[in-house]
Amino acid sequence: MKKGIPRTLPPLGLIEMGRLGEVAVRVVAANLQGVLGIPVDLLQPMDIPTESFQEHRKQHDAGLILKHLASRSFPNHLGVLALTTVDLCSPILTYVYGEAEVGGTTAVVSSHRLRSNEDGSIVSLGRYYERLAKVSLHEVAHILSMFHCEKDDCLMHYCSKTHHLDRLGIAFCRRCEYVLKKNLALRCS
Amino acid sequence: MTGRIKILVVDDELIVRESLVGWLKKSGHEVSGAEGGRRALEMLGEREFDLIFLDIKMPDMDGLEVLHEIKANYPESMVVMITAYGSVQTAVEAMKSGANDYLMKPFEPENLALLVEKLLQQKKILDENLLLREHVATRVRCEDLVGVSPCMQQLFDLIEEVAAVDSPVVLRGETGTGKELVARAIHSRSGRSYSPFIPINCGAFPETLLESELFGHESGAFTGAVRARKGRLEMAHGGTLFLDEIGEIPLKMQVDLLRVLEEKTFHRVGGTKEISVDFRLICATHRDLPKEIERGVFRRDFYYRLNVIEIEVPPLRLRKEDIPVLAQHFLERSRRETNKPIMGIQSPAMELLARYEWPGNVRELQNAVERAVVLAKGRHLTRDDFAFLLRTGGRTVPQSLKENEKQHIDHILKQCGWNISKAAGVLEVSRITLHNKIKKYGLTPPVP
Repeated sequence: MKKGIPRTLPPLGLIEMGRLGEVAVRVVAANLQGVLGIPVDLLQPMDIPTESFQEHRKQHDAGLILKHLASRSFPNHLGVLALTTVDLCSPILTYVYGEAEVGGTTAVVSSHRLRSNEDGSIVSLGRYYERLAKVSLHEVAHILSMFHCEKDDCLMHYCSKTHHLDRLGIAFCRRCEYVLKKNLALRCS
Repeated sequence: MTGRIKILVVDDELIVRESLVGWLKKSGHEVSGAEGGRRALEMLGEREFDLIFLDIKMPDMDGLEVLHEIKANYPESMVVMITAYGSVQTAVEAMKSGANDYLMKPFEPENLALLVEKLLQQKKILDENLLLREHVATRVRCEDLVGVSPCMQQLFDLIEEVAAVDSPVVLRGETGTGKELVARAIHSRSGRSYSPFIPINCGAFPETLLESELFGHESGAFTGAVRARKGRLEMAHGGTLFLDEIGEIPLKMQVDLLRVLEEKTFHRVGGTKEISVDFRLICATHRDLPKEIERGVFRRDFYYRLNVIEIEVPPLRLRKEDIPVLAQHFLERSRRETNKPIMGIQSPAMELLARYEWPGNVRELQNAVERAVVLAKGRHLTRDDFAFLLRTGGRTVPQSLKENEKQHIDHILKQCGWNISKAAGVLEVSRITLHNKIKKYGLTPPVP
């Protein structure tokens, strides 16, 4: 994926929102750089915005976190990705692993549901980091104007369960990779 | 369902609407939002939607009421009702009224993803079915293009050659020669065969109606245009547009069509949105277009744009060897349709068909056989079953002197109730001569 990506691309800002741990943040940064070939800046950690909390659902509205991020200025960055520990939801969905607007500048990913399977069993740290990296790559690709993909082993495939996530490779399908390269080139021009 | 899927989200809660629109857009669908039932119906009047998410409880118009309107006016759109926790009973009622499914807010991510996938798959199958039905119908109709004559063999070869390219074709030929069948045959053998074949008879509409029929119209474009409607140009997208009787198109519309052919875009009547189209054009006319240009009723530039390939469809009188084959073909079809045990056409009847001039060409032959089959009493079609051809007003059937004599004697014998002396008196011949003639022509008295 790195081949053919222009070097003039501005970096992506990575923000820890809540106590995720240094290793998790570095794993995500390394994967973003390695798979997408975009430079990543580790920005100052940020508090979880209180206005995103939904009392009746005991979850945070991912859309409101994006709005909170968008209200800050990141002029030197391609976009920003916040990594958080809180459980995320949206007005229509009971939960989301992450959220981003297609072609926007902000994304958020939660680790809350990735440490265990749906049956409650805890997964290894390696598996957990892998899941975190996959969801992060998926959401950042949305920032880069990528849509969902029908191929069930592509990182742009929509996954609603952890075993779906585990089925994905850490790579985009050939078609998505091609579109991604074009979109990145457009961002640079 | 060609191109992007069009989805409409109808919900009065902005946050729900925006969230669902945003989620669906991530899959690359074309998604719009409506804040209430009335707005949704307005939008449906303006454009088509493949899938509609419809909230049950809305202040301006009840979701069930909107559902009834959609099912009555836009039955091809699939509807998913959105309901809040506790109103499942209403959702069940909605299902009975024709909704395709329902979802309870907030949705389980997996349920939403699977439902959308399932409905889009259903929609795709329905659309494919429609196309296949069209395709099969086209193929069946092409079977009517029958002929063993050298000129028809040449025409078949030409159809194969022309089908492989995408250039406009002008079919020239008299009424009833089967120009539309030739157009369908070209379409069914072309790379566009899995897309629609859209025919329109330009001579069958007054100017204003023809414009709306071809270009479509937006709602309110003129009195009576209650809802937006696709025109034939739009319907033919990806396929073939067949303009029959092209010589009847008014001059002003010739300019509009020329523009569409050159720019591949147009506007609906009363519309501002530019619509892109890609179709193959086949035209047909019985007129001599160069003469029409001289008369000033057909544009020269339009003619040159259309007339890339010209095919002459021969009249039936110039391919008489095809008449027995065609007659047999139409007989078999009529026999199937009427369920009558007609075994064939007797030789004298076939001779009559072969000698007739067929001013109405193949269409007239088809009608003649159908009529004969319907009225036939025996197991074979006889010359009498086609007697109506001899009585066609103003049209003379070329016959030999022998044939005329035979018919005249038969007619007089019938008039005289087969009283030989009386008939011989009327014919002013001797009884012996009449007996000889009866024997010679094989005339027999009707069975009592």
